[in-house]
Amino acid sequence: MVCVNLWYDVGSRHEPAGQTGFAHLFEHLMFEGSQHVAKTEHMRLVQGNGGSLNATTNPDRTNYFETMPAEHLELALWLEADRMGGLVPALTQETLDNQREVVKNERRQRYENVPYGDAWLRLLALLYPEGHPYHHATIGSMEDLNAAGLETFKEFHQRYYAPNNAVLTVAGDASPAEVFALAEKYFGLLEPVASIPPAPGSHLPGPATSPVRETVTADVPAPRLYLSHRTHQFGTAGYDAVTVLAAVLGNGRGSRLYQRLADGARIAQPDYIGAYGVDLAHAPAPLIVTATAKDGVPVETLEEGLSEVIGSLVTEPVTEQELSRAKALLTTAWWRQVSTVGGRADTLGRYATQFGDPASAAYRLPQWLAVTADDVTEAAAYALKPESRVTLTYLPETNGESA
Amino acid sequence: MTLIATRPDPGEARPYTFPDLQRVTVAGGTVIGAHLPGQALASAMLLLDAGAARESAGREGTATVLAKSLEEGTTERDSAAYALALESLGAELSPGVDWDTFRVGVSAPVPQLLDAMRLAAEAVRTPRLDPDDVNRVRDDEVTALRMDWAQPGPRADAALRADLFGAAERFGRPMHGDPASVAAVSVDDVLAFHQAWLRRPGVLLVAGDLGTLDLEALGQAAFAGTGGDALTVEPPLGVPVRAERRIILVDRPGSVQSTLRLGHRAPERATPDYVAMTLAATVLGGAFTSRLNHLIREVKGYTYGIRGSYAMSRRFGRFEVAAGVQTAVTVPAVVDTLGEIARTQESGVTEDELAVARAWRAGQLSVEMQTPGSIVGALSTLVVHGLPDDYYATLRRQYLETPLAEVSAAAAAHLRPNGLTLVIEGDAAVIRDELVAAQIGDVVDAEI
Repeated sequence: MVCVNLWYDVGSRHEPAGQTGFAHLFEHLMFEGSQHVAKTEHMRLVQGNGGSLNATTNPDRTNYFETMPAEHLELALWLEADRMGGLVPALTQETLDNQREVVKNERRQRYENVPYGDAWLRLLALLYPEGHPYHHATIGSMEDLNAAGLETFKEFHQRYYAPNNAVLTVAGDASPAEVFALAEKYFGLLEPVASIPPAPGSHLPGPATSPVRETVTADVPAPRLYLSHRTHQFGTAGYDAVTVLAAVLGNGRGSRLYQRLADGARIAQPDYIGAYGVDLAHAPAPLIVTATAKDGVPVETLEEGLSEVIGSLVTEPVTEQELSRAKALLTTAWWRQVSTVGGRADTLGRYATQFGDPASAAYRLPQWLAVTADDVTEAAAYALKPESRVTLTYLPETNGESA
Repeated sequence: MTLIATRPDPGEARPYTFPDLQRVTVAGGTVIGAHLPGQALASAMLLLDAGAARESAGREGTATVLAKSLEEGTTERDSAAYALALESLGAELSPGVDWDTFRVGVSAPVPQLLDAMRLAAEAVRTPRLDPDDVNRVRDDEVTALRMDWAQPGPRADAALRADLFGAAERFGRPMHGDPASVAAVSVDDVLAFHQAWLRRPGVLLVAGDLGTLDLEALGQAAFAGTGGDALTVEPPLGVPVRAERRIILVDRPGSVQSTLRLGHRAPERATPDYVAMTLAATVLGGAFTSRLNHLIREVKGYTYGIRGSYAMSRRFGRFEVAAGVQTAVTVPAVVDTLGEIARTQESGVTEDELAVARAWRAGQLSVEMQTPGSIVGALSTLVVHGLPDDYYATLRRQYLETPLAEVSAAAAAHLRPNGLTLVIEGDAAVIRDELVAAQIGDVVDAEI
């Protein structure tokens, strides 16, 4: 088996006002044919030769990948080169109109038609100021999607889809010499783009200085809270401490949140409590703490409990036991991430794109393991102050207890 | 010209291999190990013949409450100490229930797997099951089900299942129960289920580097203190199908999409048509280029995705198409879907479509089996359905070689477009009149 993976250094952070959702809609268009690949043929050639494929877009970047039986390595490279260098001639209004409807249905299915489904969209707008590249969500607004014109997508491809804005990673049953020769053959003659416009500025001076609250009354089955903070950028020592902090705080039944609020005070539903960082690399990344109230528990009680547990990270130093538990879970998570050719290729592509060196991936786990209790306390004191907190509250429409 | 116009030919295919298996009989149970040299992680799964089918009527969800109670402390240690011990190994316990089995998975870095297995066995064989804890877990599970049922899908699934298998039958009720049946589960139900079914040895499946892992020690840990004979499998349920189509409307006011669940019964997993049915369903609704996904998503833009497949357990099977479609196009999406099912039933599949289905299914046997967790899952299929050790190599060959005529014949025999139950969960006030007018089938309201 081999995995062919491409990271393009373009994501929703590059989208100007009025074009939210374009990077992701563009990703869909990449599967609809290119100069030598007829419409529907991309999927047919990958699956019809035994492969699995997909692509994802997030605020930072867009990635494309297919895992194939090793004898089809060259086919995968040919397909990727053809859509990197030859998408524009195949783009049609019909394709755009169709995929626009598909993406609008994706938005309905993932964000609009499920309880709490729009939490991430709301959190981003609360965490990052108007005009910041992370302020809007990758899925975009219906209004902008409706306004998307064909010319914009042709320009988008010409601006960002070129060898000098991409990292190609191959993992699996192939020799480096063979891969480099094939990469040269298929990508070597593609024109680089002359000047890639810099991404919109993403500098932020530090954590927010005043708290923000939003309360949503909606058709949800129980009160739920999301408490979130901007922390550090992914890839920094500060964010490594936040990663360990998140595991201590909210990963597993042994975490502080679970032990104190689901098991101890029994005010939070055990299946819906946790904390996690979102690994964004171009501005301080969010830490999100979430919990859902048990039946009859007022949302104020739950919020008080969450605040106390978050605050305890500063006032009650993390113990050796908590630290080693968190590191053991992170170690397993790391090995799980790289246990497939797809996971290995994507990890290497990320580190090459974001830090200029795929080998730097090897430092992540050791850096997590080097985080000390003091580092966690320091990260909490810096990033998790009540005055920098975003509090998003969902209340059921007929919620008697906390109205 | 900077692009190469000619599509490259494939290189030389490597032979298909499934990991070497080893079997050990120890302490009254069997361990099956799959060798994955060089993997940093290992997985184990204790497979017990204690699926949801063994629950009492009206107490559906008993096994799930038991599964969720296992980590509430053991005779050795309380729940906090248990969580700390397990998670400090980097291990995760995943107890779960399906129709045929109660399965407890545990994964950890290779050097920690034995200790993790000892802890897993401690939870499975000697859980504390304090009545206060069990009652609390039961109440939490009722709440969790209400949370789940607030999503689109679970209510439609329940309505379909009840119609296909009968609301009074165990197989006609949701696998994990519903809020009412779980609320009725008592401490005694949970204790009795544990006593009857979780003290038998079962089978232990292990995937990882067998150069380091000690299968005998893992088996000792898993089977210590167990007893009882293997259970006999009950016969299949048969394949009754409706004489006429029926539409069941599940109201979800304000829903921006309609959730479709279209299905009918099908043969159980042991059917000799398994491979041909799977290939036919792949052409109809499995691959991205399937007839359904092509028409409903790529041509019409009605959905983010639509899938059709057979799901089969030991005693029954069913065919199902699932999708979420924009509310305004609910009826045209249903009509088009019925058209593709009927076309496939009547005229079978083409060579071109079948070629994609063959290669994709065969390739998935490699692509989707890279991790210890996925290999353990593959081993569980062998055990539950009594399949031989060389099964996956055989299955791969069958995917590649089953003649087109057999695949089309399977579509003709096992697709029943006129006997479908069509469950549509959406905004009834908006879609009802159009659905009735479309004359696809009688429209009834769900009692869910």
